[in-house]
Amino acid sequence: MSGNGIVIEGLQKRYGSGDTHVDALKGVDMQVAPAEVVGLVGPSGSGKSTLLKCLGAVIEPSAGRIRLGDEIIYDGGWKIRDLRALRRDNIGFVFQAPYLIPFLDVVDNVALLPMLAGERNGAARKRAMELLEALDVAHRAKAMPAQLSGGEQQRVAIARALVNHPPVILADEPTAPLDSQRALAVIAILNDMARQYETAIIIVTHDEKIIPTFKRIYHIRDGRTHEEAGEGKRFD
Amino acid sequence: MKFKAINKKMLRLLAVLVPLLLLFFYVALRSGPLASVPVTVVAVEKRAITPVLSGIGTLEARYTYRIGSVSSGRVKQLSVDVGDLVKAGQVVGEIDPVDLDEHLGAQRSAVKRAEAGVLSAEAQLRDAKAKQAFTASQEKRYRSLLQASAVSAELMDAKHQEADAASAAASGAQANVNAARQGLASVKSEYQGMVNQRNNLLLVAPMDGVVTSRDAEPGNTVLAGQTVIEMIDPKSLWVAVRFDQLQSAGLKAALPAAVRLRSQSGKSFAASVQRVEPLADRVTEEILAKVVFTVQPDPLPPVGELCEVSVQLPPLQSVPVVPNASVHRVDGQLGVWVVDGSALRFAPVRIGATDHAGNIQVLEGLQSGDRVVVYSKSTLRAGSRITIIKNNGKGTLL
Amino acid sequence: MISLAGRDILHGWVRFLMTGFGLGLLIGVTLSMAGIYRGMVDDANVLIDNSGADLWVVQQGTLGPYAEPSSLYDDSYRSILGMAGVARAANVTYLTMQVRHGGGDVRAMVVGVVPGGPGEPGQPGFLVAGRHLTGGRYEAVADVKAGCALGDTIVIRRNRFRVVGLTRRMVSSGGDPMLFIPLKDAQEAQFLKDNDMLLQQRRRTDLNPLFNRPNVPGLLDAVIASQTTSVYVNAVLVQLKPGYAPEAVAKDIQRWQRLQVYTRPQMRTILVDKLIATSAKQIGMFLVILSIVSAAIVAFIIYTMTMAKIREIAVLKLIGTRNRVIASMILQQAVGLGAIGFVVGKIAATLWSPFFPRYVLLEPGDAIRGFIIVMVISVLASILAITAALKVDPAEAIGG
Repeated sequence: MSGNGIVIEGLQKRYGSGDTHVDALKGVDMQVAPAEVVGLVGPSGSGKSTLLKCLGAVIEPSAGRIRLGDEIIYDGGWKIRDLRALRRDNIGFVFQAPYLIPFLDVVDNVALLPMLAGERNGAARKRAMELLEALDVAHRAKAMPAQLSGGEQQRVAIARALVNHPPVILADEPTAPLDSQRALAVIAILNDMARQYETAIIIVTHDEKIIPTFKRIYHIRDGRTHEEAGEGKRFD
Repeated sequence: MKFKAINKKMLRLLAVLVPLLLLFFYVALRSGPLASVPVTVVAVEKRAITPVLSGIGTLEARYTYRIGSVSSGRVKQLSVDVGDLVKAGQVVGEIDPVDLDEHLGAQRSAVKRAEAGVLSAEAQLRDAKAKQAFTASQEKRYRSLLQASAVSAELMDAKHQEADAASAAASGAQANVNAARQGLASVKSEYQGMVNQRNNLLLVAPMDGVVTSRDAEPGNTVLAGQTVIEMIDPKSLWVAVRFDQLQSAGLKAALPAAVRLRSQSGKSFAASVQRVEPLADRVTEEILAKVVFTVQPDPLPPVGELCEVSVQLPPLQSVPVVPNASVHRVDGQLGVWVVDGSALRFAPVRIGATDHAGNIQVLEGLQSGDRVVVYSKSTLRAGSRITIIKNNGKGTLL
Repeated sequence: MISLAGRDILHGWVRFLMTGFGLGLLIGVTLSMAGIYRGMVDDANVLIDNSGADLWVVQQGTLGPYAEPSSLYDDSYRSILGMAGVARAANVTYLTMQVRHGGGDVRAMVVGVVPGGPGEPGQPGFLVAGRHLTGGRYEAVADVKAGCALGDTIVIRRNRFRVVGLTRRMVSSGGDPMLFIPLKDAQEAQFLKDNDMLLQQRRRTDLNPLFNRPNVPGLLDAVIASQTTSVYVNAVLVQLKPGYAPEAVAKDIQRWQRLQVYTRPQMRTILVDKLIATSAKQIGMFLVILSIVSAAIVAFIIYTMTMAKIREIAVLKLIGTRNRVIASMILQQAVGLGAIGFVVGKIAATLWSPFFPRYVLLEPGDAIRGFIIVMVISVLASILAITAALKVDPAEAIGG
């Protein structure tokens, strides 16, 4: 997959069937270019999570097309056999909570993904350390996640999302538990990473503190999206 | 630096797991069939063992005298009690004569009467003899008169007849005297007999000794022959011992022995075998013997007390000897487990006599110097693995 | 690739070890219960094997001498010795009773043996100290379970016995230690009454006009003497000459001597199937229940251990970990736990078995079977847990 970002066309998702169906997504169009960070904003129940799950190849959409990079991963049906490998190699997840593996230390938490992909431990750890340094948590490399502060954990989570240099990062409310200073810091990091690694990042949020930072925002309501230009505020 | 934190935890975990595994293997190897059997071993040596015979006996008196009356009667008095010392001839009691004295009186009177009868018969005899003499001389006188035809033949016959009659009377009187004398003798004998009987109502000790039993009290009626007083000669105590026939080979008179009384189990009295009874006990399968003390114990132990007797048999030839704990029967064969280096093998043996300490003679099958297994913690089999433990001398407890 | 299972265990190693120890104790209890069952059967077998007999001759119509009382005249053995095929025959008496030792009582099976020497039927098979009986009276060879030392005095009825030898594993089928004493002493102990009773008996005989006739002086003594002899034994143990079939010789003896004869297999059936059957079944049933419960607990613990990690499993799934990797992590932990549990259990069972009052026989076969079962349970339980774990929707990790 090379860097052509994310292209979504007419994505639909229907839960249930017959009389009791729910259309969570009724035809969503989205594009995100590599190295671009866009926001996905909407009230709860609008289908944000469903859209993210479809993008993350966690659930199967009902109709539409999804392209990641130059590969069509969904076109009426999954076009990729090994969705897990897809997730592991091509999509990075950042959640509200860091969800680090509590029994692995920080560097191994990050290095786990490349190791699962078959990379040698030494090389994987080296890459992990690079990212940790970039995120300024390398000094906590040998600590266990429980010993880190919330912000440090979130940064490790971001490092984990980035370690395989996925072309796409899906972030779900990454700043919800953080205060405004830390929230902006996280967004700054994500922007840096996006630029550095040419990653397309979609951030689902309704955090008023960070919405102004986006250059482009997708609003989603009732299963449909419409694009909007954002303020693109810079960070202080 | 990378491995420091992990290593500390790993070390702690291993610090628990490794000893656990070691303990596990130790346990697996030390119990169950993989484990070896601890044994003790001794070297066979030649020894002349002295078998000892042990038996149980009771203390008895050689002679027991039972004194009683020869006729039925009632015991009048007894002058001794159990435990008293008596001398030979001492009167120990008396049976009530009842009417015997009266009978004696009557008999005495009968004797006197017979004596008087004899006197009277003798007087009659004298009288008859006198008459006989007179009539005889009368007859002679008249015979000479007849020859002178001074008297009639009739008178002569009459005088002749008188002389005969007088002779007959004299014989009769003589017979009477004899009869009276015999009668006197018979009555005298009866009298004597009664006197003897009267004397027998006195119970007399036949020997010096000790009274051991008083079986009737004054006032009791006793039958003829019933024992009233029992006594023994304390100098004649011996032990009547029974030896199991299985062990009693070699028992004979004059062997030294040791006697332990049940009441004095610490002390051992020297003794010797007096005789081995010619009749053994068929039912209990025991040989009987009599053992006498070398020195009488003082104080005298009571008759009937239980004794343990051990007789020392003469020492046997010197042959290889093993403790009897080494001998086992495997597949019907008697033998010992011999240790060759560290391998075990079963050697059949022919055994001989045993002594009291449990040493058995080995007549065939072993040489002195062979090492045999004495004690083992479980049954040995050909091919068992063994661990030799030092014998701590007292009889090892494994 | 790092070992996820290893890291997880290391992270909570104390809890892991303690769970393993707890499981181990439970497994140890189950192994011990199996050992108790086997020990009980072994007690019965050892009684038969240690007697050294090929045939048991007992009173006609009884299941004696262990299962039922049996009395024979003590000279029966002579006629038995004369039968074809009989190599050795020896009288023996058995009586389970309290004997006084030291300050207290011990329950023991007093065995009266003919002191013919080692290797005779009825004699103990091996000694751990001292010597065999050598024909003196009032000597005894004791099993170590009776708690005597060499030279101790034991009081049986009215006589004192000196311990001259010690042996091991000579027990009755009820687990009571055996005490070997000379036959005559044992006959006295079993068939003669104690002093008080004897006095009563003498008094009664004395008062009976049939026996106490004044004109027959020796009658009373003769009657009293006959009342105090003991001419019975409980059984005759027979060893056969090589080449003779036990069943054939048994049939001969039964027919011509009109006594009951049992071969070894028959005796084993009587002891194991009749005498200890109820107790053995009792323990056997408990063993089965205990095994099932242990298995259930092992399974439960492994399942719970896995379900506690459900969130990490969801995250792992989400970030792209293969099912196989997750499954292997859970399986390794389960097997590790099972292995530690088994090791601890086997050690515990071996260490605490000697303290049981009765013999506990831990067979290696049982241990191996136990190990296999523990492993199988661990694997099955982990499979159950893995299935539950993998059903987890990784989407749960992404909030709704």
